Amino acid sequence: MVDVDLSQPPFTLLDEAGRERVRAGVDLAYFDRDEVILDAGQPGEYVYLIHKGEVAELDPTLPSATSRIGHYTAGDLFGAISILNGKSRYRFKAEQESLCYLLPKALFRELGEHYPPFAEFFRQSLSHKARLLTERRAEGGVTMAGFMLARIEECMREPLRLGGETSIAEAVAALNERRADSLLVQEGERFGMLTKTDLLNALVEQGLSAASPVAGIAHFALITATPGQYLFQALVEMTRHEVARVVVVEGGRPVGVVELTDVLSYFSSRSYVVSLQVEQADSLEELVRASARTPELVQALMAQGVKLRFAMDLLAALNGRIISKAWTFMVDERYRADSCLMVMGSEGRGEQILKTDQDNGLILADDLDWPGLGEQMNAFTETLIRLGYPPCPGNIMVSNPAWVASLSSWKQRLGGWAEARDGDSLMKLAILLDAHGVAGNPALLDALRDELFARCSRDEILLSYFARTALRFSTPLTLFGSLKKPQHGIDIKKGGIFPIVHGVRTLALERGIRPTSTLARLEALAADGRLEARFAEDLGEALALCTELRLKQQLARLHGEHEGEDTNRVVVQRLSSLERDLLREALHMVKDFKQRLSQRYHLEYS
Amino acid sequence: MLRALRRVSDRRRQANGEYGWLFNPYTGDEMVAIDCETTGLDTRRAELVSLAAVRLKGDRVLTSQSLDLRLARPASLSGDSIRIHRLRGIDLEGGDSIEAALAKFLDFVGNRPLVGWCLEFDLAILNRYLRAHLGFELPNARVEVSQAYAKALRRSRPELIPNLRFEAVAEALEVPVMGRHTALGDAVTTALMYTRVQRGLVG
Repeated sequence: MVDVDLSQPPFTLLDEAGRERVRAGVDLAYFDRDEVILDAGQPGEYVYLIHKGEVAELDPTLPSATSRIGHYTAGDLFGAISILNGKSRYRFKAEQESLCYLLPKALFRELGEHYPPFAEFFRQSLSHKARLLTERRAEGGVTMAGFMLARIEECMREPLRLGGETSIAEAVAALNERRADSLLVQEGERFGMLTKTDLLNALVEQGLSAASPVAGIAHFALITATPGQYLFQALVEMTRHEVARVVVVEGGRPVGVVELTDVLSYFSSRSYVVSLQVEQADSLEELVRASARTPELVQALMAQGVKLRFAMDLLAALNGRIISKAWTFMVDERYRADSCLMVMGSEGRGEQILKTDQDNGLILADDLDWPGLGEQMNAFTETLIRLGYPPCPGNIMVSNPAWVASLSSWKQRLGGWAEARDGDSLMKLAILLDAHGVAGNPALLDALRDELFARCSRDEILLSYFARTALRFSTPLTLFGSLKKPQHGIDIKKGGIFPIVHGVRTLALERGIRPTSTLARLEALAADGRLEARFAEDLGEALALCTELRLKQQLARLHGEHEGEDTNRVVVQRLSSLERDLLREALHMVKDFKQRLSQRYHLEYS
Repeated sequence: MLRALRRVSDRRRQANGEYGWLFNPYTGDEMVAIDCETTGLDTRRAELVSLAAVRLKGDRVLTSQSLDLRLARPASLSGDSIRIHRLRGIDLEGGDSIEAALAKFLDFVGNRPLVGWCLEFDLAILNRYLRAHLGFELPNARVEVSQAYAKALRRSRPELIPNLRFEAVAEALEVPVMGRHTALGDAVTTALMYTRVQRGLVG
């Protein structure tokens, strides 16, 4: 009749009689701080269920910095695997004074025999743990499923190199002989790409003779990659630049070519199919159909364990292509060169994985005369809604005249906001800072960004006001550094994502860093010396983790689970102990970062 | 003095009886935490409602070896006490008769030292029943946890005035209060507190 909470798995796999046996069969024990509960090599006599306190799982063979394998808190079980294996492989040590229920070995075995799903649960978690461990070891913390570890060098092929003076006829012969689709043309120090299509066009469209040299028709602006990069990045590059080949360069010399078809044989994912559909769409209807498939793509990528950063990059590239394509459908060509459509907010940072809402604005060249602009922009917003981007609740959309203006009036507004420094102005500055041009003439946005940096990056008072928002929400950690566990969950967006994004944004504003994605900004800040590389990396990982947790909730929502719950809220009790552990560390990073911000911008007393 | 005399006479009388072995000194390393819920606070009149005991060994609380007895409905079960222990007349239906309960209790406890919170009160009631039904009182060694705690605290933090409320002590010792005002819950909590005090983890 002891107060054991048996409402969690694996005890839910027992029936009431089984739970009663657990209740009647457990003992209680107290462990002091730093007391070793179960040492490596000791036979497992009990399954431990923590009632209160925290226990660390250590691998005594590793150096102390990396020896912590697991972390258990109230409600977690440990020691079951030691019983199954006969002896404990690791050392369990109480990190705080811990009160544990001890389930004797005999009873545990008995329960396993009577309730096969109960025994199955532990076998599963054994293999689950083993997998986690190998993954950690394989990549030093980078969690990626097998094929995602593929590097470009594993997939590239030897390039066919020819001199610039080679004739078209000889090039065709060489291609046929090697059964290749493309070749590299060397001219002096430069290399150019030449594909079969280029050859065809040269012969038919331009009417060149078969004897003319290939140097004139090769493309010397190459999309390149290095052999050590992940294959996935090559795919992102291809999607972004709409090409089918990437040249692999090492030490300034091309060492290989990655062809799209080769990459596809590596990835059986649907990413290419979707992006292909987007590219091939020549009507709005087709675009809508392609766009509707992106959530499916996200799920496929997540299910394959693709690292969130790459998934975000790919999705950002895809979303950009969809919006830009819609723009070309809707807007007359003569206006396109003199206007710039920018996406802002999470979309601008390239961190919008599922389509949450549209934040966009339009910059017009000063001398552009565009009759009927208002109606066209209304229609464009409607189109985006059809494409699956819900309208922005804050009405930051091109259909709102406040977000459509000529370059000079944008600059004026910006000045006004920087002067005013009230909440609304600061928010607008933050939104504009994340702007990313997706269609039209990006030079307009660049000019606006230059103005923004010129006005704001040396204004200490503005920066301090700007940074303050990052401290607005408290980090959901208790005084003792463990996670808060309210029933309704902790708000991961306010507690984790927002402070990182906004703090990094502030630093980027101060240093005039142009990339808009938080991870790219972090890299730039590290290169700039504003942050230590190590800290920037950790912060990036923390952000990725928080985003991933949120994404999981959003995906679950798509499947109709947890209906009516706020997707920003993560219920700590539902996480696995590993996730909980990671989240705790991530929030500590956030806390640390906030402290640095308040020191840098003197926010201690505000 | 009086108690000692009584124990000697009890021992004499029980020497050849069924429970003579209770008077032998205990040599094991276990202890038993006990608690009972009653119908009132007057030791001369209050009746037993439930009775629980749990064994302790070293720093383990052997909840798997515990005793939780409910007694048949006593005559004086009143609304006031129900409010505290939440055992209604219905809940006590099918409970043990007092003789059976005492027999089970003595078998479980044996001659192990007893640990309790306000042990004096529990024992006064138990002994009243024991004397009436079996003709002797519990001779076991006793540990009063509230006193043990106060003593330990006086040693480690003499400047503090101890707050000896059950919940307050549980909190100070970082012991979760389990099922307060159920006999077994209180017994387990008391046992946990005792293990904490034993290890000198006071204050």
